[in-house]
Amino acid sequence: MLARSCLRSTRAFAGLRNGAVHISKRAASSSSSGSAAESPLRLNIAAAAATTVAAGSIAWYYHLYGPTADASTPAEEGLHPTKYPWVHEQWFKSFDHQALRRGFQVYREVCASCHSLSRVPYRTLVGSVLTVDEAKALAEENEYDTEPNDQGDIEKRPGKLSDYLPAPYANDEAARFANNGALPPDLSLIVKARHGGCDYVFNLLTGYPDEPPAGAQVGEGLNFNPYFPGTGIAMARVLFDGVVEYEDGTPATTSQMAKDVTEFLNWAAEPEMDDRKRMGMKVLVVTSVLFAMSVWVKRYKWAWLKSRKIVYDPPKTNNIAPRR
Amino acid sequence: MAPLQTVSRALARSATASRAPAATAVRAMSSTPALRDSSSSYQSPFKGESKTNVPDFSKYMSKGSGSTNALFSYFMVGTLGAISAAGAKSTIQQFLVNMSASADVLAMAKVEVDLAAIPEGKNVIIKWRGKPVFIRHRTAAEIDEANSINVASLRDPETDDQRVKKPEWLVMLGVCTHLGCVPIGEAGDFGGWFCPCHGSHYDISGRIRKGPAPLNLEIPAYDFSDDGKLVVG
Amino acid sequence: MATAIYNTLFRRNWTMLGAVFVGAFAFEIGYDNVMNKVWDNNNRGRQWKDIRHKYVEGGDDE
Repeated sequence: MLARSCLRSTRAFAGLRNGAVHISKRAASSSSSGSAAESPLRLNIAAAAATTVAAGSIAWYYHLYGPTADASTPAEEGLHPTKYPWVHEQWFKSFDHQALRRGFQVYREVCASCHSLSRVPYRTLVGSVLTVDEAKALAEENEYDTEPNDQGDIEKRPGKLSDYLPAPYANDEAARFANNGALPPDLSLIVKARHGGCDYVFNLLTGYPDEPPAGAQVGEGLNFNPYFPGTGIAMARVLFDGVVEYEDGTPATTSQMAKDVTEFLNWAAEPEMDDRKRMGMKVLVVTSVLFAMSVWVKRYKWAWLKSRKIVYDPPKTNNIAPRR
Repeated sequence: MAPLQTVSRALARSATASRAPAATAVRAMSSTPALRDSSSSYQSPFKGESKTNVPDFSKYMSKGSGSTNALFSYFMVGTLGAISAAGAKSTIQQFLVNMSASADVLAMAKVEVDLAAIPEGKNVIIKWRGKPVFIRHRTAAEIDEANSINVASLRDPETDDQRVKKPEWLVMLGVCTHLGCVPIGEAGDFGGWFCPCHGSHYDISGRIRKGPAPLNLEIPAYDFSDDGKLVVG
Repeated sequence: MATAIYNTLFRRNWTMLGAVFVGAFAFEIGYDNVMNKVWDNNNRGRQWKDIRHKYVEGGDDE
């Protein structure tokens, strides 16, 4: 674009300079564009200049704003999580709901003592992790506030399916107080909220070394985890082999539990994923078919233009008066 | 300069034409003076390829018959239209579904009431979707009274059977159909409900009997579950 | 054969339009069914409906 406008201005300039000559020529001949002023040499010079200007301005811009500055050392950034081939992250694969069920068990028995899952109501567990009866029974284990009664008092009632999973602490301050000043984040959207998503969560859960490497600075009350930005994490390692006992008999190794709970947290963050992917599959197939057909229809519609011939059939007689 | 060029172009044309045998005779009759000059001095204004290559498109020609081709073309166009229509319908549908009640609203939309806690002849008011719902455990006498009324004489004729699923349980929205006040239970001239705002009297079946209200009290959707509970919504 | 179809369906605009809309309707139902089958087949054993029977009390097989 820039090059073209440069060329155009050159041409306009040339036209201005040779204006008088051009006008007389144009009056005389039907061919207006071909002019001696636009010699190939001049065009080449203009193109080269335009390219230089364009490339130069890009280089200047990159010099100013291009390279990103790293404010943190690699230790402060945290180790990049290893990529794992999560099956549920494939395009047309749903969550493994058996794994979700195991992951929910891990969350309930391990994570829930510190972390809330406040955006997940019991009703969404129905039909993806639990049956209706299980979910109802689980909800009734907790008490929730009622709406104010006639006296304006707020009473307690057992939970219903429309209630959200209870938080372990009343508020953030209570959570900080109980955890040495560190706030355990809500896990509802943790997979979406952390760089690396599932990989990060899995690596964090399984990445605690037995003891911090030599020379590592670990603060008071903190634990060393290379995947955590800053490497000092308040959460200690929680998943050990056999911490939970799976109801379906899957061996509860550390990595198995980490994998299950990660997939469950991914579900908590994106409960709509299965439907979304199914819809996406339908849309992709239909649009590719539509695209192919529209290409065919385009070729069909333009076939007359592509296959026409213009043949000059000279007249048999020569009584054509020269036109004036 | 201009006339000169026109002339030369005309010359070129006549040079081509004069190859025809009849040309001379026709020219004799024409009024234009014959401009004869050496045709060898003529130069084509076109540079480059002088030979005309007429492309051969026959390999593009369809081998099928005309009707088959027409059928196929219309089929393709029609199918394109059909799939587009289905896609458009589906897209619009998704957008409209967006406007319907969301899952958390729907989850709050049902209220369960334990009927065992309501003794005979008592009213209970519960909140459902922000509105009061009257639940009355009616006595046999009240049911008889509700059935004994001549339906044709009512302003909004409805039999008691149309208004209840089980005769002993009357469930209705506690919103006066006049201007939306909440009627008072066990009051009014007909032993049912009385709206204090403008004096509408409802009977024991919640039907309007006297006063400005035009309609009977509304019946919400409800169901009795197996374990003696009432589910409103 | 081709001529017959052409004459009945495509010759008049309203029959063509009707055929397109009926076709769209039928296509939508059929396509939905087929794609749901493909999806279920691709995710066999992963979805809740595949494992639900294990947990429903008085379930079919367990």
